[in-house]
Amino acid sequence: MARRKFDSKALAKGLFSILVFLVLWEIGSRSKTWITAEAFSGFREALGALGFNKNYLPWVGAIPAPSEVVVAWGKVIVDPGYWQSWWMSGARVGGGFFAAMLVGIPFGLALAVSRTAHGIGFPVFELLRPIPPLAWVPASIIFWPTQELSIAFVTFLGAFYTIVINVVGGARSIDVRYFQAAQSMGSSKADIFRRVILPGTLPSIVVGSAVGMGITWEVVVAAEMISGGGSQSGGTSGGGLGFFIWNSYVGGSYEQIVVGMISIGIAGFISSELLRHFGKYITPWLRLR
Amino acid sequence: MPTQDKQPVSPDILLGILKATMPFQVVSDAMLRRIAAISWKVSYRAGDTLYEAGGPADDLYIVVSGKIDHELAPGVNARRPMKTLGEGDVFGWAALLEKVPNRLAKAVCTEDALVIRINGEELLKTFESDPDAGDVVMSRFATMITRDYTVPDLIAQLRGIHRKLHARDAQGMNVTLYRVSRWLKSPRPYLMLLGLSIFFGCWYLAVEVFKLPRFREMPGITTVVTEWLNPNPVFGLSLYTEEYYKHIAVSVWRVTQAFLLATALGVPLGLFLGWSKGVKDYLFPIFEMLRPIPILAWVPIAIVMFVATESAVIFLTFLASFFATALNTMLGVESIDESYTRAANCLGASKSQVFFHVIVPGALPFVFTGLQISVGVSWFSLVAAEMVSGQYGLGYVINTSYTMVRYPTIIIGMITLGAVGYVTSAMVRVAGDYMMQWRVRELALGAR
Amino acid sequence: MSGQPGKLPGGAPTRGAIRIEDVVKIYDPGGASVMAVDHCNLDIAAGEICMIVGPSGCGKTTLLNAIAGFHEITSGRITLDGEVLCSTERPKSTPGSDRVVVFQNGALFPWKTNLDNVAFGPIMQGKLSKAEAREKALSMMADAGLNGVEHNFPGEVSSGVRRRIEIVRALMNDPKVLLLDEPYRALDSLTKSVMHEALLEIYYKNKVTIFFITHDLEEAIFLGHKVAIMTSRPCKPKKILTVDIPHPRDYGVLTSKRFRELIEETNEAVHEEAVKAFQSGEKEG
Repeated sequence: MARRKFDSKALAKGLFSILVFLVLWEIGSRSKTWITAEAFSGFREALGALGFNKNYLPWVGAIPAPSEVVVAWGKVIVDPGYWQSWWMSGARVGGGFFAAMLVGIPFGLALAVSRTAHGIGFPVFELLRPIPPLAWVPASIIFWPTQELSIAFVTFLGAFYTIVINVVGGARSIDVRYFQAAQSMGSSKADIFRRVILPGTLPSIVVGSAVGMGITWEVVVAAEMISGGGSQSGGTSGGGLGFFIWNSYVGGSYEQIVVGMISIGIAGFISSELLRHFGKYITPWLRLR
Repeated sequence: MPTQDKQPVSPDILLGILKATMPFQVVSDAMLRRIAAISWKVSYRAGDTLYEAGGPADDLYIVVSGKIDHELAPGVNARRPMKTLGEGDVFGWAALLEKVPNRLAKAVCTEDALVIRINGEELLKTFESDPDAGDVVMSRFATMITRDYTVPDLIAQLRGIHRKLHARDAQGMNVTLYRVSRWLKSPRPYLMLLGLSIFFGCWYLAVEVFKLPRFREMPGITTVVTEWLNPNPVFGLSLYTEEYYKHIAVSVWRVTQAFLLATALGVPLGLFLGWSKGVKDYLFPIFEMLRPIPILAWVPIAIVMFVATESAVIFLTFLASFFATALNTMLGVESIDESYTRAANCLGASKSQVFFHVIVPGALPFVFTGLQISVGVSWFSLVAAEMVSGQYGLGYVINTSYTMVRYPTIIIGMITLGAVGYVTSAMVRVAGDYMMQWRVRELALGAR
Repeated sequence: MSGQPGKLPGGAPTRGAIRIEDVVKIYDPGGASVMAVDHCNLDIAAGEICMIVGPSGCGKTTLLNAIAGFHEITSGRITLDGEVLCSTERPKSTPGSDRVVVFQNGALFPWKTNLDNVAFGPIMQGKLSKAEAREKALSMMADAGLNGVEHNFPGEVSSGVRRRIEIVRALMNDPKVLLLDEPYRALDSLTKSVMHEALLEIYYKNKVTIFFITHDLEEAIFLGHKVAIMTSRPCKPKKILTVDIPHPRDYGVLTSKRFRELIEETNEAVHEEAVKAFQSGEKEG
C-alpha cells in the first residue's frame, strides 16, 4: 500500500523534455525561413540529393510551428463554431458510448452466464469482430436514414466489441470459490447474479469502457472526416472536431489542423479521466491496491 | 502362488468395486467397463507372497477382501515403508510408472484375500484412448502414492506419468480426431450453426424476402455471394478478378511495413522506458502527450508532412501500432518481479546480461499482447487512412464502392478485410506461442 | 557428537563466517522514519546453519537484503570472512555469487528450462562454457535426485521440486553462504518435511553456511545449529539458542524429547513477539 508521493523531480524532468520537444518543433518548422541562409546552401543540396524538398527540413518543416498554433488557437477560441464542434463530437461520443454500454453489458453478461447464449451468439460476434468499425461507414450511411445516426452506429460498434469482450472475460474469470461460498450460504440464482457476477465483472467493465472510450474518439473523428461533418446544414465548422480538422485542411489553414488535433487530445483525455474516476468510485474495493 | 488362477470378473460387480476405489472413483461407466474387460480376480491364502521387490511390475492390484502386507524396498526412500492393506486399497502401482520395470515392494498375504489384477500396460492404453479422463485417474494415483505410500522421491517419476500422457496426446493425429469427435458430440457446433444461420437468415429475410424498409437499400446475401463468386462480376470485383488480389496485397503490404517499423521502434523504446527510470521520466510525458490524439486526427498533417500519399498512409498505420507496442512493452518490463533481477545479480550477471536474459524474455508475454493489439489497430487505422486518401487497398475499395454505388462490393470488401485481419493476428499469436514455449506449457498445465 | 559444524563428516568448513555488527536500518518513506533493524549483532560461524525466526514483517528480510546487497544499511557493519560487505561508510554491498539468495516465492526464470536455470550462474560469470556448465548442472541435479525434469520449464514441475532446483542453482556457484528467505513458506507441511530432509542432505554434501529466515519455530529447531529469535519491528535478536541435537538429523528428531524441550524453551519468546507484531498491525511481506 505505497502512498504515492508527489514526485516533483520527475515532474520537472517531464516539463523539461516537453519544453525541449516544443523548442525543437519550433526550430524545425521555422526551417522555411532559416534554411534560405547562405550558410545552409550545402545542407539544402544534401536534402535535395536525398529526395526531400530543399525549402524546409523534411517532415517537421511542413507543419506549423507551436507559436503559430497558439496564435491560431487564440483566434478560434472566441469562435462559437469551434465550441460547437466540441459539443457535437462530445455528444456523438457520449451517445455511441452509452449505447454500447447499454447493449454491450447485458449482451456480454448473457454470453457469460448462459452456455446456450454463448454457443449461439459468440461465433457470430467473433465473425463480425475482425471487421474494423470504420469499414462499416459506407454500409452504415446506406442503412441509416440520417447521417447523424450512421455516425452514431459506427461509434457504437467501436466501443461495443471491447465492452462485450471485457464483460465476458471478466465474468468468466470470477473465482469459482465465490460462487461456492454464495451457494453454501443459500443464495438463489438471482442472488448470485446480482451479488457475485455483477460486482465481480465490474472491474473489467471499467477497464473495457476505458478502452472503449478511446476507440470511440478514434471512430468519431474518422467518421466525421469521412462522412463530411454529419449535419449538412452545419456550415463551415459545425460538424464536430473531426470535421473541424478536415475543413481546416481543405481550407489550407494548417495551424488550425494542429489546434483541432490538440483539442481532440484534450477532449479524449478529459473523458477517460472522468471515466477513470467514476470507475474508482464504483469499485471501492480495488482502491487500496 | 495363487490358490486360484485368474478368473474373469463380471463387469457389474467390478463396476461396484472400482467405484469404491480411490483412483477410479471419477471414471465414467463406459470406461470402467473397458477396464473390467482387462481385469481378473485372483484369490490368495494367508502366507502367500504376491510378488517380491525386483520382480517384473506387470499388474495393478486392488484388494477386494482380506489383508495384504506391503513393504517398500529401502531404495525407494519411503518414510513409512510398511503398510497393511485392506478392502479398497490399491497396490502394485509400479506397473504404471515410467522407467520402473520392476517391483519396488514386497507384498505378502496375511489373511485370505481376494484381489483384482489389472494389466498395467493395458490400463495405460485404455487411459490414452481418453486422455482427459486418463489424466484425472493418473493424478489421483499420484496423490495416492505420495500420501498413502509416503514416497516423495518418486514425485519426479509421477510427473513422468503426466508427461507421458501429454506428450502422446500432443503428437497423435488420432488425438486430434478424438478432439474433433468430442467437439462434435458437444452441443457447441450445433449452437454455432444455429447462431450463424439466424444471422444469415435474418439478413436474407430482411433484405431479399420481406424487403423491410431501410434493409431494402442494403445488398442482400445472395447478391453478395453471387457477385463474389462470379467470374464476370457486375461491379468489377470478385474472387476471379486480378484487381481483388491486388487490393488485398496492397493493404497487406502496407500493414506489414507499418507493423514491422512499429515493432522495430516500439519494442526497444518500451524496453528502455520500462528499464530505466531516467529514460522514462524524460520521454514518457511526451509519449503521453501525443497518445490521446486519435490517429485519424493525424491524417491531414500526415498528408502535409509526407508529400507522397503512400508514405502518409503507412505513417498513420505505423503510429497507432507504435503506441500500442511501446506501451505494452513498457508495462511488460515493469511487471517483471524484482526477484528475477535480484536473482540474476546474485548469480553474477552483469547489467547487460540482466537486460538480455531477464528483462527481454520477462517482458515477452506483454510484448506479444502489445503486438496483437498492434496488428488490430494497424488494420483499423489503415482502413481509415485508405478511405480518406490513397489508391488501392481494401479501405479504398469500400469507400469508392460507396461513392460509385457498387453496394455488393462494399460487403465483399468488409468480409475480405475481416478475414485478412483475422489471419494476420492469428499469425502474430502463433509466432508468440512459438517464441514462448515455456508460457504455453505452463498455461496448458494450469488450464487443466 | 555435538551440534557444532566443526564435527561434520568430511572435515571442518573454513569459509562463510558472517559477522553482523550493530546494524541499523531506517526506512524513510515520505519523511516518516521507520526503524526496521535496530542495533543488530549476530555472529554466524563458517558452515553453520543459522535460523532467523521472527513474526512476519519484523525486518528479517531487510537483514538478508543487506547481506545480499539489495538494500543499503543506515549504520553498522557486515563482514563475510573478515571482508567488509557493507558498513556505515559504504552502506550497500555488491550482490555477488558468493552469497546466493533463494527467494520466498521462488525466482527460477520461468522462460529458461530447469537445466538452463541451474547452469545460469557459471555462464553469466564466464567461468564455464555453455556446454561445461550444462554438464555440471546435469550432474548436480542428478546428485540432488532431480533427474527427469531437466528439460522441463519451472512452470511444469511442482513447487517443491522448484525450490530444490533453486537451491541447486545457488550451489552451482560454489557460494560461501546460502541466503534463504522463507523458501518453504508456500509449501504444504508434507512437502515441507521432504524439503527439509533434502536441504539437510545437500548441506551435508556441501557444508555451506546457511542463513535461513523462517517464521516456523519447529522448522528452525529441526534444521539449525543456531536459532536467533528476533523481536518484532524493529528487528534484533531477542534470544539466541544453540541447538544441541547432533547432526546429521532426520525426521526422528521431531519426536525426540530434546526437540520438544527446545520448543518449549523458545515457544514463549516467539509467541510474545508474534502477539506484538499482530497488535501493531504490520502487513505481511
